[in-house]
Amino acid sequence: MGISDVIPVPVAIDEEIEKWTIFGRPVAEVWFTTTEKIHQIIEMGPIKNIFNWGRKNSVYFLMQPMGCCGVEMFVFGAAPYDSDRFGCIPRNTPRQTDVMIISGYLTRKYLPVFKNLWEQMPEPKWCIAIGECAISGGPFYDSYNIIQNTGDYFPIDVFIPGCPPRPEQFLEGLINLQEKIKQRKDKRDY
Amino acid sequence: MTTASEVLSSIQSAFPGAVLDSRVESDRRLWATIDAKTILDVCKHLSSKLNFDHYSGAAGVDWIARKEMEVVEIMASHGAHQVVAMLKVKTHRESPSAKSLTGLYWNANWYEREIWEMLGINFEGHPELYPLLLSDGLMGAWPWRKDYKGYPDLTTGERAVAITTPEGYTEYRFPPTPAEIEAGTVVVERPKYPSFREREEKEIKSDSEMIMHLGPQHAMVPGPFLLDILVEGERVKKAFLDLGYIHKGIEKIMENRTWLQGITYTDRMCYVASLSNNECYCGAVEKILGLEVPERAQYIRVILEELSRIQSHLIGTGEFLTLIAGVGYAPWQYMIMDREKIISLIESVTGARLTHTFVRFGGVRNDLPEGFAEQCKKVLPYMKSRTEEFIELFAQDPIYHARMENIGSISPETGKRMGCSGPVLRATGVAYDMRKEDPILVYPDLDFKVITGTRGDSADRIDVRLREMLESIHIIEQCLDRIHSGPIKTEAKIPKKVPAGEAYYRVEDPRGEMGMYVISDGGDKPYRVKVRGPFYATFQTLTPLLEGVYIADAVAIAGSMDGCPSEADR
Repeated sequence: MGISDVIPVPVAIDEEIEKWTIFGRPVAEVWFTTTEKIHQIIEMGPIKNIFNWGRKNSVYFLMQPMGCCGVEMFVFGAAPYDSDRFGCIPRNTPRQTDVMIISGYLTRKYLPVFKNLWEQMPEPKWCIAIGECAISGGPFYDSYNIIQNTGDYFPIDVFIPGCPPRPEQFLEGLINLQEKIKQRKDKRDY
Repeated sequence: MTTASEVLSSIQSAFPGAVLDSRVESDRRLWATIDAKTILDVCKHLSSKLNFDHYSGAAGVDWIARKEMEVVEIMASHGAHQVVAMLKVKTHRESPSAKSLTGLYWNANWYEREIWEMLGINFEGHPELYPLLLSDGLMGAWPWRKDYKGYPDLTTGERAVAITTPEGYTEYRFPPTPAEIEAGTVVVERPKYPSFREREEKEIKSDSEMIMHLGPQHAMVPGPFLLDILVEGERVKKAFLDLGYIHKGIEKIMENRTWLQGITYTDRMCYVASLSNNECYCGAVEKILGLEVPERAQYIRVILEELSRIQSHLIGTGEFLTLIAGVGYAPWQYMIMDREKIISLIESVTGARLTHTFVRFGGVRNDLPEGFAEQCKKVLPYMKSRTEEFIELFAQDPIYHARMENIGSISPETGKRMGCSGPVLRATGVAYDMRKEDPILVYPDLDFKVITGTRGDSADRIDVRLREMLESIHIIEQCLDRIHSGPIKTEAKIPKKVPAGEAYYRVEDPRGEMGMYVISDGGDKPYRVKVRGPFYATFQTLTPLLEGVYIADAVAIAGSMDGCPSEADR
């Protein structure tokens, strides 16, 4: 890999630099490296912890009300419970979010849409299931239209039971997620 | 004043032999089985001669033992009289078919589509009989029929098959029945929703047009729904509405639960108005059982329902403000903060924030806690001053008025014809309120006004909601003065098996007219529960309202309806 792959320099200069050596090794190999190499170094070292510390303190969640828990999610994001204190800020589009909150029943008709939303979210991303319906179908477990096992479709890190859970429980769940991210124990292994 | 028996005799004299069976329950309820051939003429007669200008809904019932199906048309009037006529039309269970009323009542459209997709009753003369709530995979399975064996059918043990898709997801599919395999075809033709591409190809006529999606995921509507608008430049040419993204099949589930367990499901129909839903279901069952509710319990119910109305209007208005983003984000925060005060009042009685399951057959679950009245007297004057502040805020803001006035206007005639109710209809100037129209509990003794608007536009709808909150506060204050000690539950023993019978009960939900039609066959479970939701009716009016408006106004109109898709989908 030459220098011209990284910064736009005339090829002549590139060829010239390629002849240079440092401690007997080509300069380009030592100075310029690929993203993959950087990632390998980050994975190995304690710098990953610094990354995760940053990630854990800015878990923006997708405002995605789907049921009763969605109404509690409004309240959780608004002034009385003020999720912003913990770095959990509600966002309106999946492209700006880190956390998907499944806040209610997942129906057969909504599942493809929901998968789409999940795929639109940039990495790194996490998923939380809130309420009985999202965990196991809840009171609608025998409905013809409800998906019971959301865990089969999404890598859910935190389950928050309740029907619907109180906003305080939302906070507890998000703090648990932050702890998981910090300890590098989340499902997608960031 | 017209009474039910007068209506019955009028039908009988105009169409001799058309009424096969009839029952006059009271002055306000008429049950009649009409000959299927004459139903259109009878409805025409009712609407033209007897002021039945409100088509309230329709229910389909599967009588599997009698090998027939029934369509029950629910007709009422906008204030001319208080009779609700329940007209039944019978049809065979093999190839069931009924006459469509869409030519007569515009809003029959969705009700008939729903019956068709759930029960498979074909409607002759319906303009667009394609799925409303169900996804493609379930179409043709007719899930509300009594012999439906779907996923997961716990009674027969037949479950859908789990299949792993190429992407690694697990999906559940119905195995074809042996009859289907033998015949080599599926039994019924399964119509499909037009996909986005198909809709694009069909609707887009020129280069200047495009289709815009609003939804299904939306940040500020408490439930997903899809609004596709066909736009040309800045104008909306046509709107398409897809719902059913959170269709849970509550009506079917309630058939498989005991009478008491059913109350918990009414909570989850519209979670910001769960107390009115509780009331509606329990009221209907009380009617079948013939129970009297003690006076104290009636007052407790009224107090809680009005508190629930206040919090529902607060969150509805707040959502609207965030949707239009004009008056801004701050009032939403204030409204949610005030709502928390009301919620904690309700919570002190019921123990839950949203899903209360508080009302019981013949009473309420528990008494008011100590010091509730004092707490109310602290919160209510505060709420009153805050509501007045909100009204003033909206009245003063010139930008808000420029944006909202004469946007999405509905005339009184259109409002009645479209079958909407609640604040949406009252904003047009029609004083149609179930608390006056079909009074229940202690509402007749209480002094309150029905709030109406004048223009019927978005600004008026919000204004009506805010002024209704003041009226609710006034009602609660009266109740707190009048309530005295006594029993909170009826002394009569409530049987586990409810005697055979049927009832239709209406309450004023925060969003409008909420009706429940409950049938008992003498068992420990309801035979059929039909919910006539207020937002279902209002939702239907959205597509014609959006035609010809600016794109920016589409959100303002949809938001001012105070949407709760969960109740529309059920």
